[in-house]
Amino acid sequence: MSAVTETVDIQKYLQAFLGEVPQGAEGDRQMRQRVAVPFMDTTDADVRRDRLEPAEINSWLDYAAWNLWDFILGRASEGESGLIPRQEYETVSFTQQWNNYPRFIRMLTAELGVDGLLELAKTSSLEVGTKINVTRNWAASVCPILGRGIGIELGQDTPDSRREDLETLIQFGRRLQHGTWGGGCGLVSGRGSTVPVLHPDVLSQLTAQLQPLDDPARMAAFRQFNARTELFGFMLHYDCRAGMADTGPYPLPDGRFAIVRDHFLNETAYPWSGIAEGLPYAVTQVMVFPADRVQVTVNDIQTTFSQPTNYLDYLEAGVVFARDTMDTPMGELRVLGAEEMAQISQRCQKGVLEMYRMLARKSRDEKIRDGVMVYTREFLLSHATRAGIWDKFVSEGFDIMQPNAEAAWPVLTSERAAEILTPVLLFGKGFPHVGAAS
Amino acid sequence: MEKLIGSGTKAFSSENGATGMIRFLDSPDEVLEFIDGPDVQSTIVISRGGTTTFMSPALMSGVAGLITLQGAPESHLGILSREFGIPCVMSTSFTEGISTPRGETIPADGTTVRLDIAGDQGQVFLVEQG
Repeated sequence: MSAVTETVDIQKYLQAFLGEVPQGAEGDRQMRQRVAVPFMDTTDADVRRDRLEPAEINSWLDYAAWNLWDFILGRASEGESGLIPRQEYETVSFTQQWNNYPRFIRMLTAELGVDGLLELAKTSSLEVGTKINVTRNWAASVCPILGRGIGIELGQDTPDSRREDLETLIQFGRRLQHGTWGGGCGLVSGRGSTVPVLHPDVLSQLTAQLQPLDDPARMAAFRQFNARTELFGFMLHYDCRAGMADTGPYPLPDGRFAIVRDHFLNETAYPWSGIAEGLPYAVTQVMVFPADRVQVTVNDIQTTFSQPTNYLDYLEAGVVFARDTMDTPMGELRVLGAEEMAQISQRCQKGVLEMYRMLARKSRDEKIRDGVMVYTREFLLSHATRAGIWDKFVSEGFDIMQPNAEAAWPVLTSERAAEILTPVLLFGKGFPHVGAAS
Repeated sequence: MEKLIGSGTKAFSSENGATGMIRFLDSPDEVLEFIDGPDVQSTIVISRGGTTTFMSPALMSGVAGLITLQGAPESHLGILSREFGIPCVMSTSFTEGISTPRGETIPADGTTVRLDIAGDQGQVFLVEQG
């Protein structure tokens, strides 16, 4: 194959999934026509089953492959990192998750039952400043199943090995999604790329505290707080989006809309968490925009994109709440005043530098290992903690690197990674079908 | 007098561009040394990749602008530059400049450039003094 032909082929896969299906709402529509069973949608009955039909599995895999392509496209060319080897730790994490999540998800399901999982997943509608959220609904199943695809590319598994584990992961994600949404498409890509998940009563309690941001100094302080807390959240979570989550847009009675944004500032699960000492567990910003001047979408990992792109220039009103600990009741959320916002903003600025200096001293392998811990813990930590079994997870080996993940590490962190990952991430090879036999 | 020397993808749109002196940062130690210097807020920094964390001290310190040689607006650095309101042009190709050790063409440190992020593309103009 000539270099020119290869370039043309890659362009084809960058423009459309499998060179055929576009991004966005039209892509969702076309995928619905392509799959045998709309198993990306959930019902009360089908989330209760443990065993799945091949057509259900394969339809879910096809939709998930498009969904991943849809939102990862813009990041595929993120380029190299000069500080944290994020692609490297993420891909090792996928294989780690594929090899350890099924056992722990069964433990969690046994503890809570299916009804308990559905109830747990309602948390994202009833609380802010929680990691039991839509990002985890997506990540807790799609990421380990992407690890299955990598494992198959590496020859560690076959499309038909560990069928039961695959079913466990698909159904865990679907149960969380069903608990959150109550039915319909479990993935945000099939919900018009919006995440208006908060219960109206919860939202109205938040919006009741809104203040206009018409004073330039107040606006500047609010925007600085937003930027600094977001960056600190990224740093604390090793450059991944686990540290932030947007919901909305929420239409408001006055014709405007709100975005509700969590930044997680004090996750205590990591050895470097001391850097966040004194900060609230999460801060939640409610931000109001004019609907006739800005349009927004929110994707499956709860990130807002807008037209026009400089959405913050249109910000009209806002308020910030603090959730001091992971389990602070919603009735005890605090509205942050200007002085405390400034203190937190300054603390985050200092914390970013402390974290940066710490990272600059670590070896590449240390950072990959840290990153695997973050990426593997993040999608189940809050669920298991709420269920009261996180300590049991740890004592039963949740953090122990699985042999297949260790075996994949040298390849996935080397220059050869592109040979494995390009087909998996770009050419739709990450979600191979299972065979007809169960 | 200005001359277009580079173009790429803007992380977000704004009528407010940025003008400043170029500084290419190629390692965490260089980033840390840079932010302790006197010219942070009048500097447009160049990084290779589009990830957030490498440039985080520069973002926090309020650099005038950002240029990357790789990456896209949906990448973390693109998102964070938007949140900070710092003009950012990503995956930038330059038509003239010096060569990095890896053979990439970039403007030399100390060159004054202007970032324009108002149009369809992000553009980098050489500002010729005098």
